Amino acid sequence: MKNSLLIALREFKERIGTRSFITLSVLGPLSVLAMIFLLFTFGGNSKQHWNVLVADHGNLLESKIMPGKSGAVSYSFYNGVINDADFAEGKKYQKFDALLEVNEKVLTNKIGFVFFREEPDLRMQSRVQYHLERRLEEVLIERFKTVSLEDYRKIKQPLTLRFANVYDPNEESSNLEGWAGLFFGALIFAFIFLFGMTILRSVANEKSNRIVEVLLASVSPKQLMLGKIIGIGFSAFLQFAFWLIIIGFGLYFMRENIFPDMLDAGNMNVTQLVIDSAEQSYQESHFAAREYNQFIELVFERLQFSNILGFFIIFFILGYLFYGALFAAVGATTGSESDGQQFVLPLIFLLCLALYAGYYTLNYPESPMASLFAYLPFTSPVVVMVKLTMGYGAGEVYQIYVSMIILLISAIVMLLIASRLYKNGILQFGHRVRLKHIFKWLRKT
Amino acid sequence: MLEIKNISKSFYRKEALNDVSFSVRKGEVFGLLGPNGAGKTTLIRIINRIVEQDKGSIRFEGNLMTEKDLLHIGYLPEERGLYKSMTVQNQVLFLGRLRGLSKKDTLAKIDYWFDKFKINDWRKKRIEELSKGMAQKIQFICAVLHEPKLLILDEPFSGFDPINVELIKQELIEMRADGRTIILSTHNMKSVEEICDRAILIHDSKKIAEGSITELQSENKEGLYAVRFRGSMIAFVNALWTGFELVDKDILGDDRFVAKVKMRGENSFQDLLKVLIGQIEIEAAWEILPSMQDVFIELVQPVKKEADEK
Repeated sequence: MKNSLLIALREFKERIGTRSFITLSVLGPLSVLAMIFLLFTFGGNSKQHWNVLVADHGNLLESKIMPGKSGAVSYSFYNGVINDADFAEGKKYQKFDALLEVNEKVLTNKIGFVFFREEPDLRMQSRVQYHLERRLEEVLIERFKTVSLEDYRKIKQPLTLRFANVYDPNEESSNLEGWAGLFFGALIFAFIFLFGMTILRSVANEKSNRIVEVLLASVSPKQLMLGKIIGIGFSAFLQFAFWLIIIGFGLYFMRENIFPDMLDAGNMNVTQLVIDSAEQSYQESHFAAREYNQFIELVFERLQFSNILGFFIIFFILGYLFYGALFAAVGATTGSESDGQQFVLPLIFLLCLALYAGYYTLNYPESPMASLFAYLPFTSPVVVMVKLTMGYGAGEVYQIYVSMIILLISAIVMLLIASRLYKNGILQFGHRVRLKHIFKWLRKT
Repeated sequence: MLEIKNISKSFYRKEALNDVSFSVRKGEVFGLLGPNGAGKTTLIRIINRIVEQDKGSIRFEGNLMTEKDLLHIGYLPEERGLYKSMTVQNQVLFLGRLRGLSKKDTLAKIDYWFDKFKINDWRKKRIEELSKGMAQKIQFICAVLHEPKLLILDEPFSGFDPINVELIKQELIEMRADGRTIILSTHNMKSVEEICDRAILIHDSKKIAEGSITELQSENKEGLYAVRFRGSMIAFVNALWTGFELVDKDILGDDRFVAKVKMRGENSFQDLLKVLIGQIEIEAAWEILPSMQDVFIELVQPVKKEADEK
């Protein structure tokens, strides 16, 4: 173990001394911050006008809703039930872009449903949500006359509008958290690939400059491989820590200095909003705020970072060990660094599969394939991140631990397999390793 | 010190070593000889536990060799390299620590060796800035830094200029005087004659000869003698008559020569002297032993021919 640590220490020192490490440690998180900033600042823009049909079975809204001055949304009312399938296909409904379903329950559970034909941008989603929220406040205040509108707004709970594609209602479009999860998963894989390639290059390098024989006279191949994976892993972790600190600090800075009024409920200027409620233009100007609120709220409020971070780190480490061993084995079985490039292709394929699995899970979180991807060690680091941010059901939390245990066991097995391949491959100089050799090495005890 | 018993090893279907046995005594320089591809490097790797043998055993100081014994072995492989981007001192420090030395001890040894080889100003240089010969010196230091009981050197002189070859030879001789054991694998037969006590010759994965250098030379001698004399060369040749053959001659002066003579038939050195006395004035006479180069060629070629014929 001491030797592994010595090797790890050497690898660690070598990595963190390189210019690329320092550059990536600073520029990487800065570019992510820039991306977040852009996301906060600019929303998407699709359809400029939205024609919404409100299916208000109980006439809860009394056919009234304040669409704002901008005229971006216009509402029509129907005091009955409209099936989403009817809305999708029915000729008379084709002129409407979306169906907003309102019933008595919305007052208590604060959940409304919107079925759209074409996914609205965030600005539009915010608008509808804002309009409905304000109308519901008025309805509630009428019902509970003892509470003033101002007091009510202080104690109110936010309304959640669930947006669904009317042609594919099971796919909920409001899965920003899922995208964040995919981002975390992709981040894991970016790190794994980057540092996996570092392992591969380092192994191939030692092999081609022939120091490996000197090393192997002092340490076993297993110790050498483990030391390498640990050392490079620590440098990856250090880089990750840099990312965390810089992004964390950047987000804090943005929260405090660039977008303060959009984050703090107290700063949302609710009283001002109430006072100026007649001034529609004022409200409209706040839609911009509401628009990036989705992202800002996502980053600062909706994502449970403490929870995500813990699992992120665990899946990061396990995923790294799993793939790191694989990269080390590939490095050891290739004759030279350039020879190793062709063996990287299957690994890239695996990484792409993982990212695809994350995307698939984002779209079909409940599908059996998504569950399978969450358990497969090749894909689980991404998929679990996606599922985690989208939220596991109360009875499903065990799945996260199952994924974790499967990944742990797979990482151990992969380390054992890789060390066997490594042991046999590392001293194969000059001749090409064929698949049959690899199977032979694996069979050897 | 080291006992190799019935070691066999194959890679895929190719046999690298076939039932090789020998032992190395404490405090000797032991030559491991053989043509390219004979299996020397595989044998060395097996001793260093880098490669596992298929059959056979290795005993180190009387006991079956274990991983711990590696701390007492120094190894300079033929295919040697260093981390190019590391500084010289860090490189030696790293390898010294891998060999079980503490940081303090390693630094003390570095001081000792760097002083000895007068390379103190290299410490901060990166390996990639060194010439091949300079890097070889560092590799040699890395191999001996932990004062191993057994030092295994695979082609240690390749890449060195003659001055550095001498330097390394002197180091090896000093180490032998200190009681260390050295296994030397080389194609440089001159150095084998100079510093090896005993040697084995491996060819085609088998051991084909073993013994002290003189034994190996004697076993392969061709009955060749040298006579230094004063007198006439014609008289010398006439005296030889049919029982002896003049192979070569060196002219030392107007009437001084060294003649190399091969015995024919049953004739002995005594017979040679008898026929010469009275004809010329003999200053000295001695038996010419074959060089290790000749021994090597003599032993390897018949086996090779045989193999080629097969």
